Amino acid sequence: MSGEDFQFDSGQMALYVHIPFCTSKCCYCSFYSEPIIDHDSKALVSALIKEMEKYADADFRTAYIGGGSPSCLASEQLLRLVEKITHRFPDIAEFTVEANPGQLTPDTLVQLLNAGVNRLSIGAQSFNTVELEFLGRRHTVDAINATVSTAKNIGFKNINLDLIFAVPGSNLDSWSKSLNAAIALGVQHISAYSLTFEQGTLLEKLLQLGEVEPLPEELDRQMYELAIDTLSANGFTQYEISNFSKSEFECLHNLTYWANHPYVGIGPAAGSFYDGHRTINMADIKKYIAAIQRDGDPVTQTEEPNEIEFACETAVLNLRRTQGIDMGEYEQLTGYDPLELFADTIDKYLKMKLLKIQSGKICLTRDALPIADSILCDFSVI
Amino acid sequence: MTTEHIRNFSIIAHIDHGKSTLADRMLELTGLIDERDKKEQLLDNMELERERGITIKASAVTMPYTYEGKEYMLNLIDTPGHVDFHYEVSRALAACEGALLVVDASQGVEAQTVANAYLAMETDTELLGVINKVDLASAQPERVAEEIEHILGIRKNECFKISAKTGVGVADLLDAIVAFLPPPEDNSDKPAAALIFDSHCDDYRGVICYVRVFAGELKVKQKIKLMGVDRSYQISELGKFTPEMTPTDKLGTGEVGYVIANIKQLADVTIGDTITDENAPAAEPLVGYKPPMQMVFSDFYPGNNTDYPKLRIAFDKLALNDSSFSFVPQSSPALGFGFRCGFLGLLHMEIIQERLERENDIDVIQTAPTVSYEIVTNDGKTKRIDSPSQLPDMAYVEELREPFVKLEIITGKDSIGAIMKLADDRRCKLLKTDYLSPARVMLEYKAPLAEIVYDFYDLLKGISRGYATMDYEFTAFEKSNLVKIDILVNKIKVDALSLIVHRDNAAAKGRRIIIRLRRAIPRHQFEIPLQIAIGGKIIARETIKAFRKDVTAKLYGGDVTRKMKVLKRQKEGKKRMKSIGSVQIPQKAFMSILDTSE
Repeated sequence: MSGEDFQFDSGQMALYVHIPFCTSKCCYCSFYSEPIIDHDSKALVSALIKEMEKYADADFRTAYIGGGSPSCLASEQLLRLVEKITHRFPDIAEFTVEANPGQLTPDTLVQLLNAGVNRLSIGAQSFNTVELEFLGRRHTVDAINATVSTAKNIGFKNINLDLIFAVPGSNLDSWSKSLNAAIALGVQHISAYSLTFEQGTLLEKLLQLGEVEPLPEELDRQMYELAIDTLSANGFTQYEISNFSKSEFECLHNLTYWANHPYVGIGPAAGSFYDGHRTINMADIKKYIAAIQRDGDPVTQTEEPNEIEFACETAVLNLRRTQGIDMGEYEQLTGYDPLELFADTIDKYLKMKLLKIQSGKICLTRDALPIADSILCDFSVI
Repeated sequence: MTTEHIRNFSIIAHIDHGKSTLADRMLELTGLIDERDKKEQLLDNMELERERGITIKASAVTMPYTYEGKEYMLNLIDTPGHVDFHYEVSRALAACEGALLVVDASQGVEAQTVANAYLAMETDTELLGVINKVDLASAQPERVAEEIEHILGIRKNECFKISAKTGVGVADLLDAIVAFLPPPEDNSDKPAAALIFDSHCDDYRGVICYVRVFAGELKVKQKIKLMGVDRSYQISELGKFTPEMTPTDKLGTGEVGYVIANIKQLADVTIGDTITDENAPAAEPLVGYKPPMQMVFSDFYPGNNTDYPKLRIAFDKLALNDSSFSFVPQSSPALGFGFRCGFLGLLHMEIIQERLERENDIDVIQTAPTVSYEIVTNDGKTKRIDSPSQLPDMAYVEELREPFVKLEIITGKDSIGAIMKLADDRRCKLLKTDYLSPARVMLEYKAPLAEIVYDFYDLLKGISRGYATMDYEFTAFEKSNLVKIDILVNKIKVDALSLIVHRDNAAAKGRRIIIRLRRAIPRHQFEIPLQIAIGGKIIARETIKAFRKDVTAKLYGGDVTRKMKVLKRQKEGKKRMKSIGSVQIPQKAFMSILDTSE
């Protein structure tokens, strides 16, 4: 299928920039990153800017600098990157930078705000010192509080906190405390992720060695439900399986993914969905830089979903949103009527009350959210 | 060649006692194959047989041999050595005048060897005792010769001591075949009569019949009749196995070879049927063989209902090459359309299963194997049922009968106690104990087939550290105090999980079954009750808890391809299971009901 077949609203294109550096690796993290001291970050930023030039004509509406840890870049490199993006794409409405607590100085935060960054995503993870240690985070609870209040004082009006629950050793009480501490900071957005034992991580290795044990499934579920209940009682709306926001503070950038609209990922290991192709850049900083410098292609994996695959992907991604599949939007994007394409599956789950249809949208019910994969897998192939 | 110069023989041996090696050595000594280009164990044709070290289908080879200056034709007809293949052995033996009874010099006589030797004696086949592997350090040829004499009445000083591996004694054995085994009876002046003792189907040439000519002769272009099925054909080719198929003009009385006569399907040929001349037919067909007795039955359902036609084609193909395998359409309220398949025994079933998987790309759900039962209804009619689901309401059943077998076990005396306990647990009745030597004993039991057909052999091997061997033969259907256990999954009775068991241990068995089912059926999005019912009364319940958490926490741009793959795999896993109501039941659950391990 060629790109022309898609009815994209180019105004919703998203730009992601991956900073593959960290000061240290967290045990649960499966994203590509390497210690920053081993690399020439200036050369990387130059390469990122050069790769971005390929998309100079694109009309990006959102930008997101993630990682890794963008905040561990030297501030002049981070600013150089941000300024390049805002200069090149002046219509960007939402510009997020990920930051670890305590890693950005107030000065840098001011400069980022002035350069056009209007959203911060802070990797708080937990307000429990023992859990932070378990996760391999190098910040303190105080650092979270300080970073958020500094950012607010400087003028950031859209702040996200990432939280992780079901950490071994945690319980409903400690999770409740973390949630409430996050809420008390007055942020606009909270992402609450259940700890995943991702393949290739230190955490997975520890699991195999029997050094750690996942929390019981039932407790994991209760923690998830506690998050939904606590956050909604405090003015947050759940708009995706793990994402909650105050009204009108949904992350526009991430919504692009779940709408299955095109996006461009820049940097080592970054993924793109552009021109009908899903591509992934090479996960090797030096090779990536070298490829860009010699005008080569940094892509290592390309897939071109056919119409049905695209329709399945779209259904799976849409259903992660609490608004689910907007039938009109879906048909316009994929050319299929979801009620026909997934007739048996939808019928089955409507009967089981795991799906519901309301105002032209097919969405998961509250009971379905904690077991979404068991339902979404039925939408993954025809 | 006159019948005087023909010898037809087969080799009876336990698995691994060296039958195939001996056959290879004979082919070499008679100049049919070169050591260099021989494929290891030439007679085992199929890949699967070689892997399992067993011979499934009988095969034949014609060897030229010179003895005392005269030319002879030796026809070796191969026989399978496993407990399930009595019938195939009987077919091969009926085509021979003699047989070599091969026993491993360090292992001694095994149960299957005894059973097959008895079969040979029933058909008046002359036996030559052969003690193989005398070159091994652990060989005890004298002890083994005593066993052979004691149990089979072949004199110990008449046994040949050979090593098929090194070739020691094999030339003498070939001489002995000519000297001691009787030649075929000379009926060359009588109307043609040839026995079909095996057949297989070739993709290009149709059915190839393996025949032994008992009277008259068969020629190319001859019009022939299959007397049993009363069908006529014309021979397009015939010949001998040397060991490749080598065409000849004719096959005379006493000779063994193959016949091709434009027969399209194997179903048109009955093993044991007689080929005669259409224009000058024999008055009587040759005495046929015992028809194959299918003792084990199992249902096969396509995992996906749309694969039903594909499954039928696959079974048709398998049946083409295996006349002991049968299948009939079957429908189950729970599982939809499938086939009820009949097998000689469990090994036979496993072979068919493996072929089905290997040669076809169909997900299949197979029900636990069961034996055949006989019922006498209120109106006095006797009926065979080969599935618990066919059992009518017990109000209409006067008597329920199960198959009994004569079970022979040969073992070392150390394991007698454990084996007797096992046999006792399985409702077996000891009939006879016979010491073959101070260290080895043969136990003879009357056993319900249902109790020994599934895992008995494995358990026997386990408790005897591999030394015990067994063989069984069907004797009769007899009245037993049996009941049907029904299993309800999510309140739906799953007929394919029903089974018939003895009343005394029905309740305990039922409880064990649902515990195993609880482990075998994966958790679902909802809670699943499992219930056991005997005579319509629920006697036990287990619950499969719903899973509570199954969701990917993070799914952003870079993850889409990978996460979609994970979801697709999850979906594929579901597809391989059978939907009953809204419950997905994996294959292993169907088999788990027969698992007796704790």
